[in-house]
Parts: sequence; structure tokens; C-alpha cells
Amino acid sequence: MTTEIKSIGEPLVRFEQVTYKHYDKPAPALSDVNLTVQRGSFTLLVGPSGSGKSTLCMLLNGIIPQILGGKLTGTVTVEGQDISKVPVQELAKSTGMLFQDPEWMFATLKVEDEIAFGPENLRRDPMDILESVEQSLNYVGMQHLRNNLVWALSGGQTQKLGLASVIAMQTPLIVLDEPTANLDPATTHSVHQLILRLRDEGKTVILVTKDLDEFMAEADDIILLAEGRVVAQGSPRDVITQHGNKMLELGVWLPEPTEIGLRLKASGQFNKSVPITVAEAVKDFADLKFHASKPNEKLVTDSETLIHAENIEFAYGNKFKALRSVSFDIKQGEIVAIVGQNGAGKSTLSKLLVGLLKPTAGEMTMFGQSAKRWKVQDLANQIALVFQNPEHQFLCDTVREELEYSLLAQGIDDQAVVNQRVEDMLARLDITDTADSHPFSLSAGAKRRLGVATMLIGGSAKLLIVDEPTYGQDRRLTERLMLLINNLRREGITILMITHDMRLVDTHIDRAIVMANGEKIFDGSPDILFQSPELVERASLRTTTLRRLVDGLRGLGITVPDGLNTVDDFIGAMQ
Amino acid sequence: MSEHSLRYIDNGSFFTRIDALSKLLWVVLVILVTFQLTDNSARLVMLGLLFFIMIFLARIPFKSVWQAMPIILIMGTLLFFVHLFSTPSTSYINIAGFTLGQQGFDKGLQYFLRITIMVLASFILIWTTDIRDLMVGLVSIGMPYRYAFTVFMALRFLPVVQQEVDAVKAAHAIRGRAARSPLQHRFRLWQRYMFTVIVNGLRKAENTALAIESRGFGAYPDRTYTKQFHWTKTGIALILFFILFAIALLLWERSLI
Repeated sequence: MTTEIKSIGEPLVRFEQVTYKHYDKPAPALSDVNLTVQRGSFTLLVGPSGSGKSTLCMLLNGIIPQILGGKLTGTVTVEGQDISKVPVQELAKSTGMLFQDPEWMFATLKVEDEIAFGPENLRRDPMDILESVEQSLNYVGMQHLRNNLVWALSGGQTQKLGLASVIAMQTPLIVLDEPTANLDPATTHSVHQLILRLRDEGKTVILVTKDLDEFMAEADDIILLAEGRVVAQGSPRDVITQHGNKMLELGVWLPEPTEIGLRLKASGQFNKSVPITVAEAVKDFADLKFHASKPNEKLVTDSETLIHAENIEFAYGNKFKALRSVSFDIKQGEIVAIVGQNGAGKSTLSKLLVGLLKPTAGEMTMFGQSAKRWKVQDLANQIALVFQNPEHQFLCDTVREELEYSLLAQGIDDQAVVNQRVEDMLARLDITDTADSHPFSLSAGAKRRLGVATMLIGGSAKLLIVDEPTYGQDRRLTERLMLLINNLRREGITILMITHDMRLVDTHIDRAIVMANGEKIFDGSPDILFQSPELVERASLRTTTLRRLVDGLRGLGITVPDGLNTVDDFIGAMQ
Repeated sequence: MSEHSLRYIDNGSFFTRIDALSKLLWVVLVILVTFQLTDNSARLVMLGLLFFIMIFLARIPFKSVWQAMPIILIMGTLLFFVHLFSTPSTSYINIAGFTLGQQGFDKGLQYFLRITIMVLASFILIWTTDIRDLMVGLVSIGMPYRYAFTVFMALRFLPVVQQEVDAVKAAHAIRGRAARSPLQHRFRLWQRYMFTVIVNGLRKAENTALAIESRGFGAYPDRTYTKQFHWTKTGIALILFFILFAIALLLWERSLI
């Protein structure tokens, strides 16, 4: 069902009966898509992983079908130009696109050269280009970095440079494909503010994102895609009201207050319109009553210490100290998150834990033995690390061989045992049907699960480190991965996650180690962490929308118990 | 901050400030002169000059040089051994208890020095040149910008490939060793580095190609530039000095024969 959309101006983008099949793929990535995007509007493109969002974006600048080939039927027009007929380079005057990982879009070495690159291609006058460069640098607040090399920028600066490069093209349409997927919460917020400014300045913006909470009240339209089809298009309020439950079912991340509203409405406990912002939710839920405080049910561990670090330091070369006097213990059975801004030292810490780096000062003991004595390959039997890009870990040509390799690496070579364990693991992770496929050909979710499986199949790992478990995963895939991780924890494996996802921290984590500028600035329960605005700001974090809702309700004098970290907790605590 | 060895080091050194085309011309001259040299002593002098430039005029950090050394030395050493064992010798020398053919040793050393000089000169160019300036320079002397840009992109992605190799190496290290023989294991890892780096490299190269096309690259037969190319006086001085140095070196070498 398609709802009526708000008309802001002339349609800038028009899809008419568009079906597109990628080269060599049996099923179409987009099927019978009809939609319009009005000039000057702000549109959110949402849907589960593999729903066709990126394909739709690449149609907007002609990359599909002109460069990537495939079979396109129907018509896509941008500013009245047929994207299959007007060359991509010509369409660059109409559509500016920021990719998920802008580092790959950079064609030059220095910040200001990069911003000038696009306009230079369009043969604009050098003086005009310099003016555009200046304006774009001002826009993203990077004037002081104009002569910096692009590879010396932080994650947030890289995204802002990508955005500045798109702005300098002065296109009427700006398409942003998950521009904040790998940024810390505070940097994500600052990039979101820049995006909203673009909208305010009259640009037509199409944004693919899973962080809907900051945009629900601002967007003119949501387009919901599933399996390549437009399930809904309309104002956020209309789409949420009519298709909110479907969005949850499909695996779309919705802000927690919206999810609470949908669930309460479905159970008949709430009869107002579903709130789409925290402020609305605070107002709408003001008459809710809650049970008294419930005891914190999270595990309190007093078990064996697996890792003990005391005043450890690490420096890259002579200049940059990535870790400064960091101390902590990791105990068996804990589930711990390392959080903090981009470049705070989280990845360095994880490399120290798996033995890829050794502390340059301080003492670290792992499983009762000094870290200096451990060799990476021996430590691999005790600690499993799942990389953000699991492809880097794969060594073999089939999924089955990957699992066999891990067993052989741990000295398990009895073929009957190997076969049995591999079959068990395949079944457990629900990847049996892809056992003979190449690991690189798996879906994003299956690659992540295989990454976990290769590290744990040997059965001797005591600590599992997962780098950004939610990166590139929709809600359904994340929940599946977290179910697997929680089951592993019940089996006694200690879990350490490196994440920017505060919702994940609030939902699953016992203890958060917070890093800022190479120092540990907090070590304790997320409940205590998020009650300190100073800590949250210093570590570039942001509280979840659920916490902001609870704070808002308390601000109205409503007694809300502590420890409501999930939507289930919140609903369960209601009278 | 990444710490890869083969990338532009913007340290404001004397050599960094020389225009890109003069440095490119200097590299070409170094290679041409090296092929004219017939004596290993003269090649050693040339190598010494490169080290002098690298340390004092370009101020390349020791760490970058150290990290790049394996690339230089592996190629040179391979060539050394190929020629040592494939060149027939009539006289023999004894080095550290090993008897080696005199002519094979000389020829091996000759190829080792040649390749080392050529690679080192190219690395000095990479370390001291914003490749964009090189591209603009090449266009200014008539090269179509698409071709000039190809050179640029190849050099732009060298550090990226290094980064990818490092990431894959780290990930593989923690997988442990399945093969019984360390050599077999090493072979398997190298095979896989190549596969993963090529697959990811191609994927990233494709993404970059898509990104730059969608920013209008190739829309017109020419494009504008916000920074123009200018020959520098220091560049001309470098070329003149090197020509004089090369003449002196060649004369000295001839006098040795």
C-alpha cells in the first residue's frame, strides 16, 4: 500500500515501473518500483539488508545500469533526464552521491584538492571552484585541515570531507548511502546536523540510514523497501502508523519510543498516535504508571580473572601514544563492551588482547602468563577475534574447509571428529546449505556468523572479541548474532565487544570500558555511565532514545524504575 | 594515522618543494645514467648520492626507509643470485669460506646495484611528490589527462594495498596454523594474501572508479585545474647538477678502466 505524499515542489526524481536485475543474478534487486521524490524534499530510504537500497541509490546517478550493467526495465529520471541515456559524467551535474565508505571515493591526496576534484572535472572556472572549496570547507568546519593528507583524517573527518566534496558539486540532488555507519555516536550526531542543514538550504536529500531517531520529525518522506519492492512511501508519521509493525517485522531499526508506541497500540494499552520523537513520546506516555524498581538482573561475576592489565601503554612509533596507563581485569563469563570515540584506542586494545601488538609499558597477564610470552598463534587457541570485515580472516575456498582449517590449527585431525564438529557448527549457525560455497559469496550476516564459527569451533577459546557486531547488519541479523553470542556466554565464554552502538550496550552489556584519547575514563555498568552527561560527552557517546524517554518522563515527576534498558524492560515495568 | 611506507611524506623538505616534473625527469636521468655505468664502484657512488638525497635533502624518516627496504632488497637479491649462478666464470674468489665465480659475482652485484638504484630513485619520487602535482605537470606538457590520471591512481593506491595486506596478515595470524610443515603453511598464507588482497583490491578499485565517474571524471576531453603546474628553479638546478655529476662520474669511471 502506498500512502499519499506531501508535495513540496516539482518531482526531481521519478521511477516508473522500474525492475532491475544485477548481471549474473537470478532474482531482480528491484521489482516494479514506482516512486517520486519532490524537489527540495528530504527522504529517508529504509529497509532490511539486501532490500535494494544501494541499488536504488546507484540508479540515481546512472552507475546502474551504465557502468555496472544488468537489466533495467522501466524509466528512472532525475531532473527529467533518463539515467540510462544521459552519461554518468553528465548526470554528475544533477546527482551528488556520498558512499558508505568515502575513503574509496577520494581521488587526490589533500583535503582541498579532493573537494576541487569534482568541479574541475565539470570544467568549472578555477576561481569559482576555489570559492566552492572555501564554502564547502566552512560548511563542514574543516578549514584548518585544508592542507591535510586525506589518509591522516579521522573517521568523522573522512565522512565530512566526503560530504564537502559532494556539496562542492552544487547538485540539486544529494544521495547519502549510510554515511555514518562506522562513526562514534557524537560524530554521527554532528554529521546528521550537517545533513539537516542541507535540507534547510533547499537541497533534495535522499538518505539511507538506520539511525532514524534524529530524522523522523525532519523528513518529508520515508520510502520502505523490502525484497526490492516499495512497501510504503509517505510521511514518517503515516508510514509508521500504517506500516510500523511491518518495519519491525522486516528488521528495520526504529527508535525505541516509536517501538514502544507500536507495541502498546497493538496490545490495546495505548490509543494515541504512535510517537515518532522522544519529545512526543514523553508527552504521550506521561500518564503511564510503572511498578516499583526492579532489581538489576544482570549477572554479577566474581569468577576467575582471564586478563589482568596494569598501567599498560602502547605507542605507534615515537610520536603517537594510542594507550596511556590503562588498567582493567576481564573475568570469566563477563560480557564487556569497549566504547569511545573513533581513534580512542579501542582497536589498539583489541590487538593487544590477541597478541598482535605487545604493550610498550605496563604489565598484562593473560591466562596466568605474561602477555610478552604469548605468541599470536598460541593465544589464538584461547582468544577468538571476529574482525569487522570477516573476509580478512578467511583462508579457504569453501565454508566447510574454513571450519576444518580451524580444527586442524588446534591439532584436531581425526577426520570423524572433524566431520562431526563441522556438521554441528554448520547446523548451529544455520549455514549448512552454504557449506560448499565460497566464504566470500555469503551474505553479510552469514559471513559474520562464519567468522564467529571459525574462531570457536576448536572449542578451546575462552574469550570472544567481536569488533562492531552491528556494522552492516539490520536488526534481524544483529539479533541473530547476539542470540549466538549470548548462547556462547551461557556456555562460559567471556565476550568482549568493540562497538559504537549504544542500544547494543544498553541491551546486552554488563560492563562498559570507556576509552577517550588513549585513556580509560570509565569502567563499570552502562547504567552508571549513561547517568553521567560529562562522561558521555567526553567519550563522544550518546544516550539511547529509550534513556532520553525515561529521563523526560522523570522530568515530569513520573516515577520510572531504574534498569529499563530495553523496550521489553519498559513495557514489562508498566502497571 | 596510518604508518605505511610508500606514500607521500609532506615534510616541507628541499626535495619536496622541487616541482614534480623535474623530479620525474631526474628519475629518468638516474635510470639512463645507471645503464651507462659499467663499473660497480661508479654504481656505488650513484647509490651513495641517492642515500644522501634521501637523508639530507628529502629528510625521509628512517622508519619509512626501513619498511621499504624489503621491497628493494628482495628484488636486488633475487637478481644477484640469478646472475651469480647463471654467469659462467673463469676465475674464482673466496668470500666467507664460499668459493664463488668472479664474473658471476660481479654481474650479480651489477644487477643488484642497478635495480636498487632504480627502485630507490622511484621511491624518492613517491615519498617527496604530491602525485596530483605530477599529474597536472604531465597534462601541462601535453599528456591527455585520462592517461596522466592512470599514473596518479596507481601510485595513490600503493599504500592502500599495503594497508590491505597488513589487515589480512593480522587476521590470518590469529587463525593459527593448520599445515604440519611451516613452509606449507607459509605458502598457503601467501596464496590467500594474494587472493584476498586481489579480490578486495578489485572491489575497492571498482568502487573508486564508480565514485570518480559519478563525480564527472571523463565528462569532457579536458578539465580545469585550481592549481597550475610551474617549473621551479630548484628543479632546473637539480637537473643541471645531476647532468654535471653524471658526466663527472662517467669520466671518472672511464679513467678507472
